[in-house]
Amino acid sequence: MTDFSNAMLVFWKDWREMRRNYQVIAPILFVPLIFAVILPSIIFFVPTMFGIPESSFQIIGPIFQSLPPEIREMVATLGVQQQMLYIFGLYFFAPFFLIIPLMASSVLASDSFAGEKDRKTLEALLATPLSDGELLLGKILVSFIPAMAVTVLSFAMYCVVIDLAAMPLFNGAVLLPNLLWTELIFLVTPTVALAGIGVTVIVSFKVKGYREAQQLSAILLIPVLAVIFAEISGLIIFGPLMILILGVGFAALDLIVFKIGIALFNREELLMKGI
Amino acid sequence: MLAVKTEGLTRKFDGFTAVNALSFEVGEGEIFGLLGPNGAGKTTTVRMLSCIISPTSGMATVAGHDIRSDPTGVRRSVGILTENPSLYERLTALENLEFFAQAYGIKESRQRAERIRELLEFFRLWDRKDDKVTVFSKGMKQKLAIARALVHNPPVLFLDEPTAGLDPEAAKLIRDMVTEMSGKERRTILICTHRLEDAERVCTKVMIIKRGAGVVIGSPDELRLRMAGRPRIEVRVKGDGESFADLVRRIPSVIGVDVINGRILVTSKNPEEAAPEVVRALVNGGAMVLSVNETLPSLEEAYLRLIKEDA
Repeated sequence: MTDFSNAMLVFWKDWREMRRNYQVIAPILFVPLIFAVILPSIIFFVPTMFGIPESSFQIIGPIFQSLPPEIREMVATLGVQQQMLYIFGLYFFAPFFLIIPLMASSVLASDSFAGEKDRKTLEALLATPLSDGELLLGKILVSFIPAMAVTVLSFAMYCVVIDLAAMPLFNGAVLLPNLLWTELIFLVTPTVALAGIGVTVIVSFKVKGYREAQQLSAILLIPVLAVIFAEISGLIIFGPLMILILGVGFAALDLIVFKIGIALFNREELLMKGI
Repeated sequence: MLAVKTEGLTRKFDGFTAVNALSFEVGEGEIFGLLGPNGAGKTTTVRMLSCIISPTSGMATVAGHDIRSDPTGVRRSVGILTENPSLYERLTALENLEFFAQAYGIKESRQRAERIRELLEFFRLWDRKDDKVTVFSKGMKQKLAIARALVHNPPVLFLDEPTAGLDPEAAKLIRDMVTEMSGKERRTILICTHRLEDAERVCTKVMIIKRGAGVVIGSPDELRLRMAGRPRIEVRVKGDGESFADLVRRIPSVIGVDVINGRILVTSKNPEEAAPEVVRALVNGGAMVLSVNETLPSLEEAYLRLIKEDA
C-alpha cells in the first residue's frame, strides 16, 4: 500500500539534497534562462538598436509560408519588425519550451534515482520499511514538481520579454499568454516532463551513476529536436494540431515508459545493478 | 527466545554462490559475530536478513518475522549499519536522523525530537547537529550511521564492519557502545567483521564463514580451544630459550615445545600438572626462570589457520 505522506517524506528529503547540489540546480536554472530570457531578448531587442540581420528572414520565411492562411494574411499587413516579433515570439520559440521540462525532469530524476547509487546512500534507504510504491512516487514527484515549476516560471518570464518587446510595436497590445501557449505549457509540457522521468527511471536500473543516467536519458531530445527542425523547415507549424499530436504522442510514450518503469522498479534490482 | 534464525540460507548471483546454506541462531541480547575474509558472504547475509535482497533458497526469521512473508515487519524490527555509512552528505546530521526516524514510522514530532537528541548526545554529536554530514570525519559519520540504525529503537541491530577505517579510540568507543547496548538494553546485535579484535572483544558467539558457508560456530573461547588446541605453558628464561628447550622436551607429559622470541611455549596434555615439572627441569638444568604463564592460543591464530585451509 502506498502512503502519500511517506512519498512526500521521500520528496522533501530528495528536494533538500538537490537544492544544495549545483550540478542539478545549475542546468535547470541556466537552460530555461537562455531559452526564455536571453535568446528572445537578443532577437527582439537587438534589432531595435542595430537593425534586422538578413539571416532572420531566412529563418522566418518557411515558418511564414506554413502559417494558417488567415494568420498569414494578418501577418502580411504588419511591418518587418512586427512580423519578426510575431513569428519568432509566437511560433518559432514554442518547441524550445519542450526542451525545458524534458531537460529539467531528466536531470532531477537522474539525481534522484541514479544519484543515490553514486553517493552510496541507496542501501540504507532500501532497508527502511518504505514501500516500493512510496519510494517510486516520492522520486517521481521530486522530479516532476520542480521541473514543472521551472517550466511555468520560464513561460511567465518569456511572456514578460515578449510583451515588453511587443508593446511599443503593437500599440500596447499584449501578445502572450494566448490560448495556444497556455495549452502547450499546461497540457503538453507535463506529458513531456513525465516522459523524461519515465525514461530516466528505466535507464537508472542499467547504469551506475548520475552522469550515465543523464547522458542516456538525453535520447528523448531527439524527437524534440526533430520538431524544432521540422518547424524551421516549414514542415509543421505550432498550432492546435501540433499541440494535439505532441500531447497524445507524449501521453502514449508516458504510458509505455511508466509501465516498463513500474514493472522494473524493484529495490533489489536497483541496488544490485548499482554496485 | 531467538532473535535471528536461519536455515539453509542461500544466495546465488548468476551461477556464483555468495552464501551457501547458512544456518545459525542468535539468542535475544546476544552479540553474534559473522567473521570472515572479504568476499566471504557476510554482507550478502546481512542484506538478506534485513530484506534488502531476497534469498535464492532457505529461510530466516528476524525478531519473529519471516524474511520472505513479512519483509516490512523485518525492516521495522531491524536497524542496519551498512558497509558504507549511507548518509545523505548534503543534509545535516539532524536532517538525516529526522528523515530516517519518519521513514521508520516515528510520526509524533516530539517523540522523534527526544529520540534524536538522546542519540546525538550519546554519540557526542549534538553540538554538530546542524552541520552538513559532508564536513564530518570518518569516525563521526560512522557514529551518526549507528545513531541512524538505532533511531527507531529496533530490537535487532546489524552492524556491517562497524570499526572499519576508524582510529583506535573511535573503534574502542564503538565496541564499548555495542557491549553496553547488549548488556543494558538486551538488544540483539549481529556484527559482520573481518577484524579479529572486534569479534574477540565484544562477541558472545562467533561464526566463521568462508566462501559463503559457515565453517565453525561457538564462543570466542570455544573456538580458540576447538581450532587452535589446548592452553600452553609459556616460560620466560634469562638468556636464549632455545638452549634450554631440549630439557623440556625430555619430560614425558610434554607433547611439543616451540621457542618464539626467546619464550619457551610448551604443549602438554595437562598444563596444570606439567607446569611444575617444566620449571623443575629448567631450574635443575641451570636456567633462571623469570615467569611462567598458562596461555590460550589467540583467536587470530585459529582464524588464520582456518581460512588458509584449502585456500
